[in-house]
Amino acid sequence: MTDVLALVVQQSVNGVYLGCLYVMVALGLTLIYGVLNQINFAHADFVTVGAFTAFFTATRFATKALGIPDTGAYLLSLFSALGAGALLGWLVSAAVFAPLRRRGADELRPLIATIGVSVLLENGQLALFGPIPYQFDSPLARTTLRFGNIFMSGQSVLVVAVSVAAIAALYAFMRFTFMGKALRAVAQDRETAGLMGINENLVIALTIVIASALAGVAGAMLGPVVVLTPFTGASLIVKAFAIVIIGGFGNMEGTIIAGLLVGIIEAFTVQYLGSGLIDLVVFAMLLLMLVVRPTGLIAERKEENV
Amino acid sequence: MTQKRIGFLVSLILVAAAPWLLTTGYWRGILVLCAMNVLLALSLNLVLGYTGQLNLGQSAFFGIGAYVSTILIKTYGWNFWLAALAAVAAAGLVGVVLAAFAVRLRGHYLAIASLGFAVITYQVLVNWESVTQGVRGIYGILPPVPNAVALFYLVAGIGLLVYFLLDNLVRSPVGDTLRAIREDEVSAAALGVNGAVWKAFAFGLGAAIAGLAGCFYPGFVGTLVPDAFGIVESFTMMAMVIVGGMGTMIGPVIGAVVLTFLPELLRGFGELRLMIYGIALTLVVLFMPGGIVQAWIAFKNKLA
Amino acid sequence: MTAFLKAEKLHKSFGGVRAVHDVSVEVAEGSIFALIGPNGAGKSTLLNLLSGVHQPASGSLVFNQKNLIGLRAYQRARLGIARTFQKIRLFKQLTLLENVLAGFHIHQDVPLWKCFLPSSSTRFRADALELLSFVGLDNRANDRAGALSYGQQRMLEIARALATRPRLFMLDEPAAGLNAAEVEFLLKRLQNINRRNVTVLVVEHNMDLVMNVAQRVLVMDHGVRIFEGTPREVQANPRVIEAYLGGEFAA
Repeated sequence: MTDVLALVVQQSVNGVYLGCLYVMVALGLTLIYGVLNQINFAHADFVTVGAFTAFFTATRFATKALGIPDTGAYLLSLFSALGAGALLGWLVSAAVFAPLRRRGADELRPLIATIGVSVLLENGQLALFGPIPYQFDSPLARTTLRFGNIFMSGQSVLVVAVSVAAIAALYAFMRFTFMGKALRAVAQDRETAGLMGINENLVIALTIVIASALAGVAGAMLGPVVVLTPFTGASLIVKAFAIVIIGGFGNMEGTIIAGLLVGIIEAFTVQYLGSGLIDLVVFAMLLLMLVVRPTGLIAERKEENV
Repeated sequence: MTQKRIGFLVSLILVAAAPWLLTTGYWRGILVLCAMNVLLALSLNLVLGYTGQLNLGQSAFFGIGAYVSTILIKTYGWNFWLAALAAVAAAGLVGVVLAAFAVRLRGHYLAIASLGFAVITYQVLVNWESVTQGVRGIYGILPPVPNAVALFYLVAGIGLLVYFLLDNLVRSPVGDTLRAIREDEVSAAALGVNGAVWKAFAFGLGAAIAGLAGCFYPGFVGTLVPDAFGIVESFTMMAMVIVGGMGTMIGPVIGAVVLTFLPELLRGFGELRLMIYGIALTLVVLFMPGGIVQAWIAFKNKLA
Repeated sequence: MTAFLKAEKLHKSFGGVRAVHDVSVEVAEGSIFALIGPNGAGKSTLLNLLSGVHQPASGSLVFNQKNLIGLRAYQRARLGIARTFQKIRLFKQLTLLENVLAGFHIHQDVPLWKCFLPSSSTRFRADALELLSFVGLDNRANDRAGALSYGQQRMLEIARALATRPRLFMLDEPAAGLNAAEVEFLLKRLQNINRRNVTVLVVEHNMDLVMNVAQRVLVMDHGVRIFEGTPREVQANPRVIEAYLGGEFAA
């Protein structure tokens, strides 16, 4: 393999790995929007909660209390993060989303409520964990696999494997189970779905729980890769929104493609631009997208008839 | 005397007396911070409360005001007041640019775009090191007046003036026009309202006022770093407006005062006190969307 | 005599669906003109094209000898075109009086700088109250608009639109959801408005309602014109009858 080609392939591989992480975060956002028509501003903070849960499970609980070796501990922490995310999602759904839905709130109030939850989660974690970054070492990050001139860390293999598995599971769920079909029905037309006997509240709560669980696992996989502070989520949030908008709100395929796209762009440009400017590039893309084609790359334009 | 005049007199007395009731350097600093927060809350309320535009990027204008004025003073030796004027104009201009997005986008799209705008501004402040010194910061900034009491009177005085002007504005035909845009832009257009122009006006004026607050911030803290001008600051401003009472004039003032002093009074609880922002915002949105003002009116009606 | 409002060969599609296709219409000044047709005929879209909510893909549109193509809704309002909406679009959080006062803004000429100074202007208050009494709502002037009944909200919307002192007043299905007494009241008010030299264009699904009031009727179906004439001619026309009986007919 020539050097340049090897470099391109390597960066693409890195990009796919990054992209999978972003997709895991953004997928939850788009699911919630699809079913509720609402944006969960606290979503990225769910990711942070997942990361911290995984951290403490892996480094304190699993290894010290249970004596499980490193790799096993890390894998266990993925599950604990999933659980933490799911639990948090259920709490927020019951305490915030459901009451607002009952009161027939407009678009503005739920959005601001999620901002409130976000601020609450960030400051809560700040109080509990402090502002100093945590060193979250994943044992898999230290192992490297090599395919010719291409290097992949064990961590990135794990990320891709878990993401693919999660997305496959999600698709299977939506196509083959009753609940999954109910979810699609509610996303398309909540009123009619209700009239057909589907319990919208249950479906909505379940969707939020699934979305938050995805965010939690994403956090567990993200923890070793980024600087882990209570504000880790905040640094991700606009990128996640950018992906959801580019892919189209509520559009799962679009979000996956957009997430991979952003990951690949980041992998290729980070060497030349540094991570701060990456954000700028992605957000500039976002603003451009909003002006040119607000409904996303994939969705169709709809003019509103009054 | 009308209720309005009484209110102004009371505010004037409170402002005049405050630095003599809270006499430590620490608390006087909190007073200055409170005055700045009042200005910021008023600026956001104009766009969010009266014109109904979901603007999450207001912190960017605060930052533009701070950096433009500081750079003009430190690097080019400008006089404070001229630098402030330029900074306010710069912030206002950028505000009009953001309004261009508001014309094309609704609801949560605008929220995300404005958030993205805030992040972009933050990244520019961090990365354009030749001009802004990035995260290293700009040091040794002096306030325009020699001590904290004078600074408080200055900022609070400006706050009272801005309140007076905005209060008149929202009671005028302009206020009615902005409210019409907030309530239903389509029928407002059918009544001859040019939504684009008035959104530009609201955004620009709101940005200018936030920029004005920004001019006093660097002198107050002494060192200027980009950290104070990110998403967190935008959310805090929003919390003040909503907890106080969005869409009223006195609401943002109350919200700013309450959310500036409450965390200080809760110092005994350690870092958990910062959660007050999130808790207050969430509870208000859930149970009392009109904020403290709504609670007060409901309370008065119950007594009657 | 040139037509007051003249539209020629208007076209408009939404995502492949032809909502309005090759539609021309002329409205004489001072008349009451009705636009009827079954659901989905394109009546509301045509109204949106006339009032400026949408721009046509092609065709020409002239009002009072001014070209409307390219003009936005608020600019057409300033030329003297007012309208109400099929889905009621009131300022629900504001009072009735504030809603109608909003309509008078088109006549406001206070310079911007003056708005920053205190004033106790009651300039259009009396006019606003008069309009409210015209629609029978002056006793509730200080109630929130959202608190009104459906029929009352419709009348408030009319009062607010009239505040702009229009030359052409277009209404989109104003009788929908109204009971018989309210419809009677509405029609009488429309005739009253017309007598004061306001040209009225009413879009209605229900044929019966406009027959007593309109001087000329245009019938649309599936986005095209199918017939235009006096109410009597329309009622007798076989194509019109087929269009209504083939679809639904609300009597």
